[in-house]
Amino acid sequence: MSVTALVTGGTGFLGRRLVSTLLQEDVRVRCLVRPTSDLETLRNSIPRERLSRLEFVQGDLSDRGAVENALSGVDVVYHLAAALGGSCSTMFLNTVVPSRTLMEAAAVNGVHRFVLVSSLGVYGTGTLRRWGTLDETTPVDPHPEQRDPYSFSKIRQESVAWKLREELGLPLVVVRPGVIYGPGRSVLTSRVGLSLGPLFVRMGGGQSLPYTYVDNCAAAICRAGLTPGIDGEIFNIVDENLPTGRKVLKSLRRYGKAVRSFWVPRGLISPLSAVYAWYSRWSEGQLPPVLSYYKSEAIWKPLRYSNLKARQKLNWTPKISTEEGLKRTILGETPAFSS
Amino acid sequence: MASSPDIRVALLGCGQIADAHLQQIQRIRSAKVVGVCDVHEDLAWQAAARFSVPRHFTSLQRMIEDTRPDVVHITTPAQTHAPLAIELLQAGCHVFVEKPFTMDAAEARDVLRVARQTQRRVCVGHDQLFDPAWLTCKLWIRQGRIGQVRHIESILGYPINGTFGNLVAGNPQHWVRKLPGGLFQNTISHPLYRITDLMEEDQPQLQGGWRTRNGWNFPTELNISLHGTTQSGSLTFSTLLPPQRITRVYGNTGLIDIDFDAQTLRLSSQPRLPGAFAKLESASRQFGNGLWNLQQNFWKFARAEIHYFAGMKNLFAAFYDAIQHGTPLPIPPMEIERVTWLMDRMFAHCREADRRFEPSADECPNPSLNFPEVSECL
Repeated sequence: MSVTALVTGGTGFLGRRLVSTLLQEDVRVRCLVRPTSDLETLRNSIPRERLSRLEFVQGDLSDRGAVENALSGVDVVYHLAAALGGSCSTMFLNTVVPSRTLMEAAAVNGVHRFVLVSSLGVYGTGTLRRWGTLDETTPVDPHPEQRDPYSFSKIRQESVAWKLREELGLPLVVVRPGVIYGPGRSVLTSRVGLSLGPLFVRMGGGQSLPYTYVDNCAAAICRAGLTPGIDGEIFNIVDENLPTGRKVLKSLRRYGKAVRSFWVPRGLISPLSAVYAWYSRWSEGQLPPVLSYYKSEAIWKPLRYSNLKARQKLNWTPKISTEEGLKRTILGETPAFSS
Repeated sequence: MASSPDIRVALLGCGQIADAHLQQIQRIRSAKVVGVCDVHEDLAWQAAARFSVPRHFTSLQRMIEDTRPDVVHITTPAQTHAPLAIELLQAGCHVFVEKPFTMDAAEARDVLRVARQTQRRVCVGHDQLFDPAWLTCKLWIRQGRIGQVRHIESILGYPINGTFGNLVAGNPQHWVRKLPGGLFQNTISHPLYRITDLMEEDQPQLQGGWRTRNGWNFPTELNISLHGTTQSGSLTFSTLLPPQRITRVYGNTGLIDIDFDAQTLRLSSQPRLPGAFAKLESASRQFGNGLWNLQQNFWKFARAEIHYFAGMKNLFAAFYDAIQHGTPLPIPPMEIERVTWLMDRMFAHCREADRRFEPSADECPNPSLNFPEVSECL
């Protein structure tokens, strides 16, 4: 019998690829969408013969009634919808609060699998040495309030999910993708450095970037919903042969999209971040507290990233190489920077 | 002299503006935040975690009982302001209400009446009246630098494609969409009170209206003129402009142009030199004005005095002083009622103008409410 999946965030950057992958796997897909969501881009990316297995349900994730309605007859939930920008409270209001509603409803509506798409940013790196390996056994950040709003909201979202697994038996599988890139989203992210007006400040440059090409990531998430016997598991999703910041900038040059940048050596990142944080405190926020020693360690500490568990338990391998992914993204991308 | 004990502050509603309140309260040495509350536990938790607030709650009554605050800041959706303010006043708390004060003037009167009955104090978040740039402007007016104030022009650029705008636009159930004045009611008090602060007339005549941009299904642009006997005002709210908060105050001998975001003031007055020499005089004055702004902002930066919500901190401090030491309220109750009542009138006027001027298909070749085309039709 065919599996029915509910996808939230299905019209987004990653969601479109996931829906497409699921339809390839003969899954029936229902997307819970807002009235303002762009459905055409998604429809146009799906072969005509598969469209009959795709349906849309309009509703707000915070509306329990709409969520219950969308969950009717669903076997697997893929929860991708999350706020990507805004203040911390906005992130919580648009990520954590609706996730709680959806997860509570899913737990009592008897879905067989709830795949929460979290983030590799939830890890704390304090316990890891430089060039240590970050994997699924690395603890979640113990001080999420000191991190950026996105990571803070994702950590809270996960903690709510694990609590609901304990209390209501939510059949949870958590996927923690690294930085997802692909055509339409820049390869120059905060992991590489910071954009200051027209300039780009490269932070270090030799450390590996935990990147995953959007199609590779979608394939892994798809499997997390369909692979049996992995209830309660966590999977980190990063590609093979990860790029460095230096390589990303070099690729941009090679494909004719050179960016003017200057370099902050790795040894200076943490001290400079600490000075910035001191000034931000001293000036009572004249410059916002966007940088601190703690944050800089979480983002730019040189680490190795393992995807061994996903390869073994999900039988997943990233099909698009990093070299190819960078090429496709740079040649197809529209925005100059993304945070 | 023994110093007063710290004022105990609690906050109700942990959305976006609550961050600004908590940041600015923490800058006031005599204030201590004792608790935060939100119906969503996750929101209350994140605010408490980030601002090191000792307690967080999902029940207002529980917060009042457990933390015994002197003053509670209400930063919830506007629909809840009046009932919550009344509940808090009756519980013995002083209340600071984020703008808009209430849904309408009738609610505002109710809140102010309960404040009088309970002998508690109430303030509204008209914080730009305490912004350093506005305070300088008021000083210059008192010094007679532009003569008698004749006209005030207030502009708010509010692009709707930002995070908050997207939220409001994408959700017909969003609380902002349900306000009687829609998108405008949530923000328009800022440019409006910058006019009323200098306008003596209480009942100006109104002209103008609101418009809907193509692609939107609620009014997005507003232009209103206020006409008194000796003074006038002009208020523009536009989603077509980049973010900006600008006010120009025209006197009978000069004008002051205030850019709140840039923290700059431009003072222009009638040239004293004749003919072509006046052009040199005006330009040299503008040059001097630019140097003055650069110098002012340089030293403010060096002293760490440039804060987007500087006015909010000054307003809170003045309100806490009024509570602790009995000094006059920074925003008099009469002014609160006046602005709320004027907003009611403006929205009623816009709705009435909509009814009167709604174009028929014959009159307007494109009834799709494309903004520039509708302007032409009207």
